[in-house]
Amino acid sequence: MSEAFLEVRNASKSFGTATVLDGVALEVAQGEFVSLLGPSGCGKTTLLRIIAGLTTAESGAVILDGQDITTRPPHKRDVGVVFQNYALFPHLSVAENIGFGLRGRVARNESASIVTRFLELVRMNDFADRSVRALSGGQQQRVAVARALAVAPKLLLLDEPFSALDRKLRETMQMELKRLLRELGTTAIFVTHDQDEALVMSDRIAVMNQGRIEQLDSPQALYDRPATPFALQFVGLSTRIFGEVTSVEADGTIAVTTVHGILRTQGRFARGSPVLLGIRPERISFGTREGCNNIAPRLADIVFQGARVQAHFASTEDEPILLETSARLPTDIAPNAVLPISWAPEDTLVFPRTADS
Amino acid sequence: MNQDRSLIGWLAVPAVAYLVFVYALPLLWLLARSITGPEGISFALFRDFFADPFSWRVIGNTMRIAGLVTLVCLLVGYPVAFALARAKGVVQVILLAAIILPLSVGVVVKAFAWQVVLRRDGVVSQFLVGIGVWSEPQRLLFTETGLVIGAANVFLPFMILPIYSVVKLIDPRLMEAGATLGVGPFRRLFRILLPLTLPGVVSGIAFVFSLAVSMFVIPSLLIGDRFQTLATLTGRSFLLMRNEALGSVTATVLLVLAVMIVLLSSLLARRAGRFS
Repeated sequence: MSEAFLEVRNASKSFGTATVLDGVALEVAQGEFVSLLGPSGCGKTTLLRIIAGLTTAESGAVILDGQDITTRPPHKRDVGVVFQNYALFPHLSVAENIGFGLRGRVARNESASIVTRFLELVRMNDFADRSVRALSGGQQQRVAVARALAVAPKLLLLDEPFSALDRKLRETMQMELKRLLRELGTTAIFVTHDQDEALVMSDRIAVMNQGRIEQLDSPQALYDRPATPFALQFVGLSTRIFGEVTSVEADGTIAVTTVHGILRTQGRFARGSPVLLGIRPERISFGTREGCNNIAPRLADIVFQGARVQAHFASTEDEPILLETSARLPTDIAPNAVLPISWAPEDTLVFPRTADS
Repeated sequence: MNQDRSLIGWLAVPAVAYLVFVYALPLLWLLARSITGPEGISFALFRDFFADPFSWRVIGNTMRIAGLVTLVCLLVGYPVAFALARAKGVVQVILLAAIILPLSVGVVVKAFAWQVVLRRDGVVSQFLVGIGVWSEPQRLLFTETGLVIGAANVFLPFMILPIYSVVKLIDPRLMEAGATLGVGPFRRLFRILLPLTLPGVVSGIAFVFSLAVSMFVIPSLLIGDRFQTLATLTGRSFLLMRNEALGSVTATVLLVLAVMIVLLSSLLARRAGRFS
């Protein structure tokens, strides 16, 4: 990414004594769809509001399309926002809402044709003259997206736009939005606390925690190679095992002593370092395998999920060991059976153990 | 269900009966009195009234003062309603108390207080001379300006409260949404806030105008007999001149004007609130 279309430099913000953003930097390329993913209170909405100009950062800069817009008021930024509650104008019709930002900016007949085009794009043509109050959540959401896109903003920000929709509608809307943004080539930043949503929609995901971006990566890289224990835990399921490095071999293999015995992985750690191991559930399989980490924990629960089956194994640590497979399990497994399971050393993620992990 | 509803209707009977006896019947008597001539029904009294230039001056006085009082209340009250709606916690409680508590002070007391304030040596005069706006002390008491100031003070809460109740329900994000659509602050005010607050503004105008058009005590104390409005003229006709015919005519004219304004404003409100 040589040329950043949007660049946020060192943005900080605190409310009273609480630091909400702690020197955040973010670069987004033109046409890219980036999600800000994190738990509530991680600062993702504040970052969004700073980019839109609705909140002023205490320090830092926002550069959009080569222009420093740090001190520009929101109406001069060319940054559209889809709000969490949609914030549609209740006194206006669907068409008037979509055309709101066009009045005084383009000619009346041109405005009308843009409104018609966006009504079609979000499939709301039959509702043009309806009151927005009479619309369902999904319809309101479409109008809000159309209203924001009708003025052709350089950048579109979306603040948890699907959080009020039920699951099925949410999935449909995610696909629709993705298609629409790709068609229009709009650069977008999407705030969500829903990891599935972020994984499905984004070109890149910024995982945020306590006012910082912990990792900014493609969905796959984020899942396969989480940079921090927080990223590991927040995106996807995982088994976490604490241990201590007891030997380091010449080829980079380290042996970690844990409650499940010695487990091997690759990493650059000194002997004696406390570490956290993480394993994705689909990387673990039943049976003993040569050259793998083999353990034999006690089965605690089997959760049938349709396409996949999850096996929970008891562990002396707080969290269970999770195994996920698309294979069907034999029906005669005893509830408390001790079963051998294994995973490859290269599928064992390793992190330095910190105070909060 | 039906029976419940009809039973609930009976709850209004005492109030309705009371209003019929002390309000509707006297009003009917008043109206009847204004169209009764020596030989049955006659509009001669109205003809005489409207033929007299003095009557038109009185109507003009009434409408001008009520209009000005309403305008002042609107200009002062609108921002206050916003401050009140957006204030939080203790500040809001204090503001609300500051607006509602004065309602418990009688109009006579307030009018007398304004007499003191608006005198030649009153606070207002001293202040304006002090900051150099006036070169010498002047009296605002017994002037139209003084009357408008005093009346606006008394009726201000009736403008603030209906607007406040509407503003309170407006999502602050609507203005932010307008901004992110590239619309500047001034246009946002006219295209978002004003339309959304219009129902409150209209009911505030209806309240204040109907109060101001019919006020009697305030003009009596703040401007005196040389300046007549329909209400003070009605009062004088009945109390001083013992001219029931004139009194009933002026009362009827006043009633018709006030009802027209209220009906017109609620019609406007319904139009403005197309989707509300």
